[in-house]
Amino acid sequence: MTNEGPPDDRLQPMTAPAGGPARRVVLPPHRQRAARPFRERAADWLRSNLFASWDRTLSTIVSFAILGGVIAFVIWFVISYADWNVITDNRRLLFIGSFPHGEEWRLWAGLSFVLAMVGAAYGMWSRLGPRDALFIVLGSAFAFFMILHDTSQAWAALWFGIGVVLLAAGYFICRLVPREEGRARRVATRTLTAVLALSVPVVFALLMAGPGGADTDQLSGYLLNLLLAPAGIVGGLIVGIPLALGRASSLKAISWTCTTYIEVVRGAPLIGWLFVALFILSDLIGGDLIVRTMVVLAVFTGAYMAEYIRGGLQALPRGQYEAGHAVGLPYWRTMQLIIMPQALRISIPPIVGQAIALWKDTALISIILPLRELVGSSRSAIAQGEFITARIEVYVFAAVMFWIVAFVMSRVSQRIEGSLGVGER
Amino acid sequence: MSSESATMAGTGRDLANSDDIIVAENVDKWFGDFQALDDISMTVKEHEIVVVLGPSGSGKSTFIRCLNRLEEHDAGRIVIDGIEMNDDVRNLNAIRSEVGMVFQQFNLFPHLSVLSNITLGPQKVRRMPKLDAEALAMQLLERVGIPEQADKYPAQLSGGQQQRVAIARALAMQPKIMLFDEPTSALDPEMIKEVLDVMQELALSGMTMIVVTHEMGFAREVADRLIFFDEGALVEEGTPQHFFENPQEERTKLFLSQIL
Repeated sequence: MTNEGPPDDRLQPMTAPAGGPARRVVLPPHRQRAARPFRERAADWLRSNLFASWDRTLSTIVSFAILGGVIAFVIWFVISYADWNVITDNRRLLFIGSFPHGEEWRLWAGLSFVLAMVGAAYGMWSRLGPRDALFIVLGSAFAFFMILHDTSQAWAALWFGIGVVLLAAGYFICRLVPREEGRARRVATRTLTAVLALSVPVVFALLMAGPGGADTDQLSGYLLNLLLAPAGIVGGLIVGIPLALGRASSLKAISWTCTTYIEVVRGAPLIGWLFVALFILSDLIGGDLIVRTMVVLAVFTGAYMAEYIRGGLQALPRGQYEAGHAVGLPYWRTMQLIIMPQALRISIPPIVGQAIALWKDTALISIILPLRELVGSSRSAIAQGEFITARIEVYVFAAVMFWIVAFVMSRVSQRIEGSLGVGER
Repeated sequence: MSSESATMAGTGRDLANSDDIIVAENVDKWFGDFQALDDISMTVKEHEIVVVLGPSGSGKSTFIRCLNRLEEHDAGRIVIDGIEMNDDVRNLNAIRSEVGMVFQQFNLFPHLSVLSNITLGPQKVRRMPKLDAEALAMQLLERVGIPEQADKYPAQLSGGQQQRVAIARALAMQPKIMLFDEPTSALDPEMIKEVLDVMQELALSGMTMIVVTHEMGFAREVADRLIFFDEGALVEEGTPQHFFENPQEERTKLFLSQIL
């Protein structure tokens, strides 16, 4: 690959002009590299990234040794050591606990509804690539077929089909909405946002309403984690946004009230507040234990969300408020149109961090409350005499189930950050 | 103090003059213990171009920010186009929709496109239909010379272009008065002229303007009247000719000698 002619030739068009004299095509440097054979490039990559010098070579070898050891251990544990019968035999207990028999269609219907929402959200705000679609379909197939093992697989397959159809329907219906801003899109996004905000109560209604619906104490297992965390996160945002605005308010009474709330709630651990849900709230407002738990989770998460949103508010230059006022927008319109969109965008990473933390904190619930979420159900599974030796398998399984959702949340957050251009201004 | 200022306000100026679109009477402004504005009285007639000069910290920015209540004055009166500036929110909103403001740091909305930056006010405050607002915005972008940037975001524009968008955004509310708070101070030298040209065109079109600036060329050529602030007080006012050829006050002379 030697250059003929002066170095300037590299900047010339890559192909000879049509009809001109035949001329050797000179590629610019980055194209020259791409044109080299794969083996050469691979060797180069290895040399420069892994074996550039003796100390890097050493660190590469040590890292790979550790990594290899861990992987080998995991493979050995999963395939040879562990006895997964405890999971398969207790599948129902771990996933849905004591959900009433014969009412499993409610779970499938709820899941199908969620799939429709996922599809609609993708259609409205993003694009469903083949990788995401495959992931969602496989994940939901796992959910549809694993949730129950003593019911007919035919029903599960039917509902799985319905779920996939709803996913596609939600996606393609929302794809019909024009991409560019306008009246149609505004109405559509508002409608979808409202439906999404209502989806937590809708799912609860699907599970609990009418004759045969689950009672409070029948909601347990992994299902309970999956129900409580979104309620806490959505509720936390609903509580947190006004709190953040209130703390930033120039009216001292409001700002002090909100600050006190935030500091008091953040000053005690979640476990303490769960005690409050169990004992104090039951005397004060009574009501269902699950509802009380959700209130506590929302109240607790709201205090953290408020602080993250306040961080976003403070990161905005004062000029943004002033420009809003100078354009003639009243305070609330400035907040709604100028300040909150930017503040929330800045706050997305810590908000998602808090959401993931709350998701994992739902494991605390069965320590305090007589609600048996996944960890509680795991203990029930172990408590059966025949699996007393399989406690590691059960907890590993529970950990993996928590990890899956946390990982998905973190990826979704990256997706949102990317599409909103967080970090750019 | 108060009797002296009353006579000052009485001399030479008829506050009931219907030509006066801005009237400020004995305006005081404090930031804690620091007096930022000390008994400012002045008027501006419709179509007049007033340039405000003064060293930094002299209160000139604070003064024009009081004129659309980005700062609240502590004493005195401000009347804009016959509307009293007070705690009445309706008055405040009425004033803000008559007064456009251009900031030193542009303060465009980074999450909105250039076009949406301009249409926001007309659509949300004036309830103008979207298509009309967009037509108006395009017309204004033509006027400031960057119609091709309509679909970009502020961060993709140069400083001079951003400031011209900011001017278009303020004009979109069809204000009677435009306030400019050091509009070229944050710009690279080669971009200052493009903004000043837009402002000059605006002045020729008959807009009432108050401009805080250090651009003496602009002050000399475009201003009808110059006002000099120092330490929160209005020290001297007069025509550009008066200022540049025959300033009276020592502080004015000193300031002009430092920047010319």
